[in-house]
Amino acid sequence: MSLNELHLGEKATIVNLSSLNRYIKRRLLDLGILEGEEVLLKNRMPFHGPFMIEHNGQILGIRYREALQIEIKTS
Amino acid sequence: MMNIALVGNPNTGKTSLFNYLTGSYEYIGNWSGVTVEKKVGTLKNKRDHLIDLPGIYSLSPLSKDESVVSSYFISEDFSGIVNIVDASQLERNLILTIQLLEYGKPIVIGLNMSDVAKQRGILLDEEKLSEALHTPVVSIIARTGKGCNDLMRSISSIGTKPAERLRLDYGLDIENGIDRLLSILPIETIQHLSPRWLALQFFEGNKIIENYLETLVPKRQLNELYQEVEKQVKSNHRVKGLSQWIYQVRKNYILAILEQSVKKEQTHRANLTDRIDAIVTNRFLGMPIFLLCMFLMFKLTFDWLGTPLSDLLDQFISGSLTGWLKILLEDLGTSNFIQSLVLDGIVAGVGGVLVFVPQIFILFFFISFLEDSGYMARAALVMDKLMEAVGLNGKAFIPMIIGFGCNVPGVMAARTIEQPRERLITILLTPLMSCSARLPVYALFVGAFFAGHQTIIVFSLYVLGIALALLMAKIFSKTLLKSETSIFVVELPPYRIPQAKTLLRSTWDKGKGFLRKAGTFIFGGSVAIWLLSYAGPGGLNVDMDKSFLAAIGGVLAPILTPLGFGTWQAGASLLTGFLAKEVVVSSMNIIYHAPNTDSLQGLLTQAYTPLSAFSFIVFILLYVPCLATVGTIKKETGSAKWTFFAVIYALILAYIVSFILYQCGRLLGF
Repeated sequence: MSLNELHLGEKATIVNLSSLNRYIKRRLLDLGILEGEEVLLKNRMPFHGPFMIEHNGQILGIRYREALQIEIKTS
Repeated sequence: MMNIALVGNPNTGKTSLFNYLTGSYEYIGNWSGVTVEKKVGTLKNKRDHLIDLPGIYSLSPLSKDESVVSSYFISEDFSGIVNIVDASQLERNLILTIQLLEYGKPIVIGLNMSDVAKQRGILLDEEKLSEALHTPVVSIIARTGKGCNDLMRSISSIGTKPAERLRLDYGLDIENGIDRLLSILPIETIQHLSPRWLALQFFEGNKIIENYLETLVPKRQLNELYQEVEKQVKSNHRVKGLSQWIYQVRKNYILAILEQSVKKEQTHRANLTDRIDAIVTNRFLGMPIFLLCMFLMFKLTFDWLGTPLSDLLDQFISGSLTGWLKILLEDLGTSNFIQSLVLDGIVAGVGGVLVFVPQIFILFFFISFLEDSGYMARAALVMDKLMEAVGLNGKAFIPMIIGFGCNVPGVMAARTIEQPRERLITILLTPLMSCSARLPVYALFVGAFFAGHQTIIVFSLYVLGIALALLMAKIFSKTLLKSETSIFVVELPPYRIPQAKTLLRSTWDKGKGFLRKAGTFIFGGSVAIWLLSYAGPGGLNVDMDKSFLAAIGGVLAPILTPLGFGTWQAGASLLTGFLAKEVVVSSMNIIYHAPNTDSLQGLLTQAYTPLSAFSFIVFILLYVPCLATVGTIKKETGSAKWTFFAVIYALILAYIVSFILYQCGRLLGF
């Protein structure tokens, strides 16, 4: 499943980031987000707007389109 | 004297620490080659200098300002590094720390926000951390200054004992690769750098280091080596590339260190950030709240606080000050020429603009508050959907908001946008944001023609600027600057109540540029305008209508007639407005020979109708970026072509919009 299927407040582990654009992937890596890390969906903006995800106590915003490309699994 | 570099991830409190460790700025300049702000301050030991480097996650750069750090590391001479680290985000912060330790210069680590970490249940043993990293670690809280004096002592003792170079084992493939690279490098020319660090950065894919090595070794040889090593690593370690392998080795090392030095406890309390975020980034309230914030900011700046203060200052300058100067000049027995120059030229011109200092500083204060509180990143998030629709991303909104204060830092703030295409569009559009220098012009006209509706008319100009910027963004991204999709990843820092000291300092930093302008451009412009109005083909002290200024403005007048303000006075003041938009007010004070704002407003009601006045301020909003902004656009884009474009499209846009407004308004009977 992909990140956009996650419900608000739900946690998931990232399985695959390889379909992401190279720059996005690098920026996420800079922020410590890579395969095997756990993220929590905090919020999403209306009309397929950005997602707010929390990882390790830090919050970041990514777009809906990228959320679609992030493969996750829920435990 | 030592030069110490301050390095750290973005949003770790670098600016607070810089402000705390240095009493005052030595200077602010730009890094050579790129226009990234370079701040150098004198440390509190009154001896050493601290150099503030841009916030980076890794030495390998993705954006332009990130590349500054690597360039600095290979080309500049400095004695040590202060690495500020976010204690609550050690895992990713230490990736950079390892790269810095490999560089081999002495390092002091400032472990910031240990209080935040504690709240999150992260307990740190700084001694163990220090042992594992072979370098001093000092816990600090940069916002309050706690621990900063200990850090200062550690910094002062840099260089008293030799630094231990961290040496991680990257596995046989990389180690062989490093040896092979070192064997072909001319070691004597890179003596000041750690060869091992250079090699690791090269294998990691740091473009700046690659370019540097290409000046020493043939490119082909480097490429071959890189590919061979990458092939071996890929097949032996099942990774996707060299950078990923190097990252993994470092990460494993960090995890091992943290195992030793960090204890985690479970905590379950909703923190302040969560509670505020629940409201301001609410799905549906987010956008209205943002707009409300903006509206309140303008209301405070213009109605509640700024205008009363401006009025007081105006009374002082046009009343007491002018009176005293007049008496002084007469007592000194100066000639009519000098008296007229000082009173009708300089005081009218510079004073007419200085009265708006309160409003401008209040606006800068709010912008600083938004920046420091952490709300700016949320605004970017909330606005992203709208910005995406016009081919930009939410981060483009930040330069635009800063542009409300002044277009120059606005244009510079576009640097945080990673994609060159989006950055260029943002730079081109930021001048459409109504900067504080345009305020005096609005204030003058709005006070004269729309006295009962000040806020709403001024607000409409801001909205018009934004609306046109969005429209132009759409047009540009569909025509001139088509390209692949935009990217957007934004870090949302925890909310913090800005410290009064930091806030005042950044307000002053932003606002003093305006005062400097008053002393230079506006002063010079006022003198020039006064001279041109004093002299004419017929000699000195001519009737204003027969002056050089009237002749020059007269050339423009027929072109401006369809816009509703085809007078030589309008033409001349628009010309001078290119120096700085406030100069339009100075010019009008001089041209109409008005002793103060009130009487100038009275005179203007004879020269303009409300409709032509509105058309004029819209033209002022749009017509060309001021000289300083044009200079910044040139530096930031590095292209004369795009700079020229920025000026021309704005001029055409202004003409079209004012034309439509005036002609439609007339048809509707205004």
